[in-house]
Amino acid sequence: MNTEPNAALADRILSRIKGEGIVPRPRWEFFVKNVAFWALGAFAVALGAFAFSAGLFEVENAGWQFYAATHGDLLTFILEAMPFLWLLALALFILLGYANIRRTKRGYRYPLSLIAFGAVLTSVALGTGLYAAGLGAELEEAVGDHPPFYRPVLVEQHVWWEAPGKGLLGGTVVSLATDTATFVLKDFSGRTWTVSSGGLPPQAITLLARGGTVRVVGVPVVASTSDFDACFIFPWQTFGVAKSGPLPPPIAVISSSSETGMTSVRIQQCKSIGSYRQLRSIEDAGSF
Amino acid sequence: MPPEHLTDEEIVRRALKEKDAFAPLIERYEAKLARYLERLGLSVREDREDVLQNAFIKAYRNLNSFDPELSFSSWMYRIAHNEAMSFFRARRARPQVELSEEGEALIVELKDESADASASAEARISREELARGLSRLPERYRDVLALRFFEDKSYAEMSDILQVPVGTVSTLVHRAKHALRAALPDTFHP
Repeated sequence: MNTEPNAALADRILSRIKGEGIVPRPRWEFFVKNVAFWALGAFAVALGAFAFSAGLFEVENAGWQFYAATHGDLLTFILEAMPFLWLLALALFILLGYANIRRTKRGYRYPLSLIAFGAVLTSVALGTGLYAAGLGAELEEAVGDHPPFYRPVLVEQHVWWEAPGKGLLGGTVVSLATDTATFVLKDFSGRTWTVSSGGLPPQAITLLARGGTVRVVGVPVVASTSDFDACFIFPWQTFGVAKSGPLPPPIAVISSSSETGMTSVRIQQCKSIGSYRQLRSIEDAGSF
Repeated sequence: MPPEHLTDEEIVRRALKEKDAFAPLIERYEAKLARYLERLGLSVREDREDVLQNAFIKAYRNLNSFDPELSFSSWMYRIAHNEAMSFFRARRARPQVELSEEGEALIVELKDESADASASAEARISREELARGLSRLPERYRDVLALRFFEDKSYAEMSDILQVPVGTVSTLVHRAKHALRAALPDTFHP
């Protein structure tokens, strides 16, 4: 090939530039394009942070301590409690962030691992802040209401704890008998239960006396009855909400003639609960 | 000051004000880029000139996007490279590498890395065989070998031309050499 400079080429190019009226595109176009890619990249990472905060809210409120009671084994619990939707959203937004940053003026110089690590770190740090500010809860509940395949974590919890057949009940304490042997609980569907609480440890009675929402693990109900025998009482805490909810309504104090202690039959029934030992250790540690 | 004493960046600044000032840049890079395009597989002279012309027009149109932190050379090679790739895609043409006297540096490099250099040193490889081997390589591998061994570009320059991180360039060069060795006649293998 002839590699000598071809004088005619420069002439041909210049005459085409002049003939077709070609002018350099203005500098601001490139500036705007570059800024737009950075902005889109940052926006995607910010969306990733929101996804992370919602996922964190879901994980924090999944009720990990009680997996033995609700699911029996950890693997089944993890499969149900993992925030797959939010993890997927986080991954997609990070990819989107990478794709945009990669298209900025010098974005190609950064390796995928560096951008991905930076994007994950930013999303996680920002997402943790958003979670602490309560935005994770807002987003999780707002978005969670819409996709048909997804239930917000708190709704999911209500479903898991509205299973008297499995010995699980959740709801608001309505009243407590003067001798603390029974209390009345309204579950999340509005159904009222008379729960035997005789013989429960003092911290459980304190929880009941304080009112509000509680988790009750008891003897599984076999017939259609509104009576329930409690073995454990745990508070119903919601993590990652900006404002603490209203104070629980004052509970009524009612008289009772029930057995105040726990009968030996009930003690045996409680001990036969599959998750008895795990729940006992949670109760003993007071780690709720 | 006459253009031959000006840096590329200074000529760019002039060309932004006056069209004719762009000519020295064309003259400065025309031969180098034509050779580069030939090594990429643009073997027909007319095709090469078309691609070259389009590359310079595109460069002129985008002069304001030239980042003075890069070398003008890298920027121009990038445009020429992208134009060549567009050409191959549009024509669905298979690159056909033809080599003139160059290629020795690449052969030496391949031999140096052979497990048994003394044995392979005996093997001779013709320019045609090397060109055929290069033609058989995936586009990405041919690109990096051409830039590294024919254009004598550093990894940093290749990163700017191909718009990939330096680490990726290094990986590509390594894989490309391996692929080329496999594509060469058996007599070349250690």
